[in-house]
Amino acid sequence: MNADDARARLASAIVRIGAGDKSALDYVYRATSAKLFGICLRILGDRKEAEDTLQDVYLTLWRRADRFDPARASPITWVAVLARNRAIDRLRRLRTRGPTEPIESAAEVADGSPLAEQVMIDAEGTARIHQCLDTLDDSQKSSIREAFFGGFTYADLADRLGVPLGTMKSRIRRGLAQLKVCLEASE
Amino acid sequence: MTADDRLAAEYAIGLLEGQDLLDARGRVASDPAFAQAVEWWEERLAPLLDGIAETAPPEQLFARIVAAIDADTGAGGEVVTLRRKVQFWQRTAAAGAIAACAALAALVLVPQTGTSPSSTPQLAAAPLVASIPIGDTPLRLGVTYLPDRKELLVSASGLTADGVHDHELWLVPDDGGTLRSLGVVQAGAEKRVPLDADTAALIHDGIGMVLTREPLGGKPPEASAGPVVAEGAFDSV
Repeated sequence: MNADDARARLASAIVRIGAGDKSALDYVYRATSAKLFGICLRILGDRKEAEDTLQDVYLTLWRRADRFDPARASPITWVAVLARNRAIDRLRRLRTRGPTEPIESAAEVADGSPLAEQVMIDAEGTARIHQCLDTLDDSQKSSIREAFFGGFTYADLADRLGVPLGTMKSRIRRGLAQLKVCLEASE
Repeated sequence: MTADDRLAAEYAIGLLEGQDLLDARGRVASDPAFAQAVEWWEERLAPLLDGIAETAPPEQLFARIVAAIDADTGAGGEVVTLRRKVQFWQRTAAAGAIAACAALAALVLVPQTGTSPSSTPQLAAAPLVASIPIGDTPLRLGVTYLPDRKELLVSASGLTADGVHDHELWLVPDDGGTLRSLGVVQAGAEKRVPLDADTAALIHDGIGMVLTREPLGGKPPEASAGPVVAEGAFDSV
């Protein structure tokens, strides 16, 4: 099965879920659960929390699948973003509930190189985001990555680095503006 | 970078908290342009998630999820089901178009018998799709263009014929020239429409189409086209 075919099948299964077809859920789960569980685990750094989040992700997918528009969004991107956002929400709730284990263990797990058989968001491996992040200075790049994978807000990042909030904001905002120009240049 | 753009990036990445976060969340729900700006960032950041290794969840988790969904639908009631049935028709046309073009792309990829084993099949040029909403109805017409075959797939599976009218699909040339007919839509079916090279050359990402209501059989040669009942544009998949 080539990437386009896999993508079309996944898109049509999500559309069927949107229509209330529970049997399509089986296909979507088999095609995406390892990727989405990997995302939850990477962000939360805890199997039990990742399992609960994964359940939450598929329940949300079930409820919101009718909003998925196959003409506009790639199905794997759509579900991966959903999983990442749910995992970040959960991580934040856990964090505000009080000091648990240090988050660093979750946020700083090294990323392996993707396996060949993975369901890829960026099947050609040509996404500009990698090159564009590399054009930022190291502190901007690492702050944006920590926010994206670790759920750290401006205030968290300022705290962690011991810099004033205003300094943190303007530093990252300069990075975002640069990122936007770089990403747009390739479109 | 506009202030909205920046806010969309901050929201997509997760930098906001407190009132700023609540405000941005409200904007996503109420302001489609802002929601789209957030999606723009989410899509471009998402490839970062490819760097994460896949991990199989425990076996029994799927059963738990199905149970949670069953409990959810029990409480959801009839309204959700009805709403979904309507929305199903809105989406099916577009999904059908994509599935169909992927199936055809797969056909195109099969190497010809007799070619040398070293020859690699050529990737098909990217197909274009359009999902055209029909008037006030929840229905959509799915149109897929396959550049390699100079062929359209027109999916009207949700439509029914009224026995008095036909609907004809037209390409709207960029220069405002005469509309090019893309044929009469076959209600309730998916139809392949081969295009002549001239018409095919006009098609590109963003070009518009209109659907007109005509007498049975389509616009008579001597008459002008009937009223426009729907319009849309091609988009890359």
